[in-house]
Amino acid sequence: MTTEPPVLGDAPLADPAEVRRAMEYYAEKGWTDGLPVVPVTDSYLKEFLATTSRDPAEVLIPMPHINKHLTVRLAAINAALAGCLPEYFPVVVAAWEAFRADGMVTRSIWQSTTGTAPFIVINGPVRTRIGVNCRGNVFGSGFRANATIARAIRLGAINGLGLKPHVLDQATQGTPAKYMCCIGENEEDSPWSPLHADYGFAAADSAVAATVIRSVLHVEARHSTAPEQLAFDFADSLCRTGALVRPLAAGYIVLNPEHARLCDRAGWSKADLRQAVYELGVKRYGELRRAGKEAISSGTHWRVPIEHPEALPQDVLDDEAPVRLIDTPEAVHIVVAGAPNAGVSSIVETFTRLEGPPAIAKVEERP
Amino acid sequence: MLERAGIPAVSICTDAFRASAGAMAKVMGFPEFEYVAVPHPVASRTEKEIADMVHAAMPEIIRILGVAE
Repeated sequence: MTTEPPVLGDAPLADPAEVRRAMEYYAEKGWTDGLPVVPVTDSYLKEFLATTSRDPAEVLIPMPHINKHLTVRLAAINAALAGCLPEYFPVVVAAWEAFRADGMVTRSIWQSTTGTAPFIVINGPVRTRIGVNCRGNVFGSGFRANATIARAIRLGAINGLGLKPHVLDQATQGTPAKYMCCIGENEEDSPWSPLHADYGFAAADSAVAATVIRSVLHVEARHSTAPEQLAFDFADSLCRTGALVRPLAAGYIVLNPEHARLCDRAGWSKADLRQAVYELGVKRYGELRRAGKEAISSGTHWRVPIEHPEALPQDVLDDEAPVRLIDTPEAVHIVVAGAPNAGVSSIVETFTRLEGPPAIAKVEERP
Repeated sequence: MLERAGIPAVSICTDAFRASAGAMAKVMGFPEFEYVAVPHPVASRTEKEIADMVHAAMPEIIRILGVAE
């Protein structure tokens, strides 16, 4: 007995040569992230546009400096190419709105050598309606909604905004997160209010938070027994010298439900964990000095060695002196996601220091 | 952008960014746009090395500006 997926016998009738011809056509045009895309016809595109009240010509992302604008129609074409189902499209539109509000995409961050990826957090009832994974393997593959909503944004950048690697996308290395970094919050297993509800949305609303990120770091803390130990691990990971370009550190903690419950049992709220990570958010001056990042440039405001010609004047400190790298609890956001099966969480290193509310847009579904 | 606003300008990038520079010129409708490419990198060079690079690039900058030395 075979357990392999059906090859053709049970699959819908299609001419494999025609399917390959369509796939190769898109590949030859360069309208892909490297993986095969779904062919889009006018009638299929209409199914996507029918899920939103938006005008297809409405501009979601203006990029005048490269003569490009991502319209609702372009966003829909790329969502279809990415393999989204039409009912995912309102989430894709909300994600683009959140990226616009976040501000880094329109400031050309996806042309930068840093090579940031889109990071998307989905909250609310739409998660269950379209099958967004919030539990095990939340950053991994295997879930169509997560995979294709993230891909709709990447293909929108490549095809809609023309940000192709080796051309206008100048990423030095990029990150695997460019393929897929879209998670749902595990609201059901979280002891706390969901992210969107912390920022003025009703828990019954569906919403998408979005920003651009450098990387996702694994944080193993399987045997930690106290929230203080977790806070130390998170602060240490957020403040690693390799992540420091700007003067300060920032990011999301994607806390697995087991860690969230550990905090909750100890009487810690989400705000308490943010406060503790902020308080521990320091590095010794000597560690920054050894990495050549003890001073700040007057031109770029990036971290540079103290002998750099642009280094702002500052006192040379004792190697043991603490230097604050997380200057407010607001620089750290917390989302609960993953399976409640082990003490494994993540740090998502954002490009910018998040201050105040993250960019969140409501998912507007057509009644 | 500056030149279109009537302000003479010369774009300078390092040679690692030639592909992007050409692509930017194309999307802005000026595929033959002339710019100066200096040797990569910039960030990790000393002040003296940067000054030498500027001196070496100066004739090309002046040529593209179209003014007499």
